[in-house]
Amino acid sequence: MNRTADYVIIGGGISGAAIGYFLLKNGAKNVVILERNYLTAGATGRCGAGIRQQWGSEMNCLLTQFSCNFFENAEEELGYPEGIEFHQGGYMLLVSNEDELAQTKKNIALQNSLGIESQLLDVNQAKVLTPILDTGNILAAAYHSKDGHLNPFKTTQAFADAFIRMGGNIYTNTAVHGLKTENGRICGVDTSQGHIATDCVINTAGGHTNIIAALVGEEIPIYAERHNILVTEPVEPILSTMVMSLSLNFYCQQVPHGSFVMGRSCTNQPRDLRVTADSSFPENMAATVVKIMPALKNIRMLRQWAGLYDMSPDKHPIYDRFPNVEGFYVAAGFSGHGFMLGPATGQIMAEQILGLEPTLPWNRLGLSRFETGEMILESSVV
Amino acid sequence: MLEKTGVPTPEQVDSIFPTEERLSQGPIAIIECFQPIPCDPCATSCPQGAIAPFMDINDLPIINNKKCNGCGICIMKCPGLAIIVLDMTYSETQALIRLPYEFSPLPQIGEIVLALDRSGAKVAEAEVIRVTKGKPPIISIAVDKALVKTLRNIRPQPSEAAILCRCSDLNTDDIREFIAQGHTTVDAIKRLSRLGMGPCQGRTCTPLIIRELATVLSKPVESFQPGTYRPVVKSIKLGELAEYTE
Repeated sequence: MNRTADYVIIGGGISGAAIGYFLLKNGAKNVVILERNYLTAGATGRCGAGIRQQWGSEMNCLLTQFSCNFFENAEEELGYPEGIEFHQGGYMLLVSNEDELAQTKKNIALQNSLGIESQLLDVNQAKVLTPILDTGNILAAAYHSKDGHLNPFKTTQAFADAFIRMGGNIYTNTAVHGLKTENGRICGVDTSQGHIATDCVINTAGGHTNIIAALVGEEIPIYAERHNILVTEPVEPILSTMVMSLSLNFYCQQVPHGSFVMGRSCTNQPRDLRVTADSSFPENMAATVVKIMPALKNIRMLRQWAGLYDMSPDKHPIYDRFPNVEGFYVAAGFSGHGFMLGPATGQIMAEQILGLEPTLPWNRLGLSRFETGEMILESSVV
Repeated sequence: MLEKTGVPTPEQVDSIFPTEERLSQGPIAIIECFQPIPCDPCATSCPQGAIAPFMDINDLPIINNKKCNGCGICIMKCPGLAIIVLDMTYSETQALIRLPYEFSPLPQIGEIVLALDRSGAKVAEAEVIRVTKGKPPIISIAVDKALVKTLRNIRPQPSEAAILCRCSDLNTDDIREFIAQGHTTVDAIKRLSRLGMGPCQGRTCTPLIIRELATVLSKPVESFQPGTYRPVVKSIKLGELAEYTE
């Protein structure tokens, strides 16, 4: 194991792997990623892995636009011939009431102004793109053909493989027990495999971010909330679009392998880092999805699981340095879309840490916004 | 013999086998059809009119060796898989046999397969020269000229790899490749391979994969954790689940 490193990244999900890759790509050397379990063991490996550029805030539009462009060329850029299963079958947001329709029209106008070619579909157009839809439940749908979904395991592995090829080191099954500081500056990490001396640590531990931060008495305003998800047996392709609705509270996709993956927000979810199964989730999920896509009623559910959303007050990520500890950075608060933001997270953190010219307006995504009240509001999260 | 084993006698084979002279002129179909049954697609499908029209549907096919150009269309038409095309002019030492092959997966061009006789016994090895997709697919193999009366089927070389995960079709070779790449726990292999993600949800394959990990890494079986078991215990239709909310 490395005894010294220039940069130590804590967390082996998409964010950690992407930050490691972009650091090396931008000239950094001697970068280490620490993961207490295996790569993607946390939120990344548990997520729905939808990719969309249809948001209600300019910031999320810009971040996901960057990520989506990256994913389109990721197999070549990262050199991963096995493929990351990026299925750009379009992303359809169903609209079921008048208020939502008005908001959706505003969102589409914003997206179009940023070069995202989303559009409003009437129910007949929606039915053409998603034939299994029961349009009795909806008024309209927002749609963008370049959105879709991809395989979170393979995408993270692609970043990790590229990172290792470029000289980075990944230590899995390696837990962080302590952070060492000296005169208000980070100077080392204590792990289950020994000590690493470093003067830069990046905390991207998802739902566990504040546990790592607490090792040096820091805390950021996020909390981890359990979200549930289920998967069915694989069947022939019948759903190309990723379908989601805020008002009907669900998302559902058919992965290239044939399985359906679906989730919804449930009330009264624990915020204590538990990822146990919620027994009421499968029936509510099934009832929701069967009503909207009745053809799914004969497909069998195989498994349910849960993961953590690291929720920030304005549902936008936090990219910053901890105020009281020099050399200690954080990328967290992804609020349920950290996977699709992965490439943007990597780019932004590399720019921030290496002092590069910003390609994305990350100066507005720092911790100070929660004190000044300059938060960015986002309505479109399931 | 034919009635009991499905394998014709050498005399029966000789009775329909083309002459040396005809064989030296290029490819020709050989129809090993010895039982009068009501079946005539070979005769009606030949674009050369090389198979004499049947007077009775139970007639046996008779090839006109002058008209047959070895095109092979009749191979796909014969429901009994009784037709091959033999080309003795393929090379100095080897002949080309085109035969129907109904198994999946299809062999690759260049693959060395086992060449079988009519009873299915292994006789030699042969190189796959061409794979023509169709119903059924036609495989062209290059074989020793001395064996053209014997070889009538192929099978892939036996793999020593044993199936570990039936749902996701993974064998010991696949798993060893993941282990060699540094993925050394059940969960780490699962996320990239779909091992244990199918209908059995790891109930069948988990003990097998742990044993494989233990063998390859020379560690005790007890040192490996199975993946997390999660609901549902048994797969259930979404429609049935949905009824619980009403």
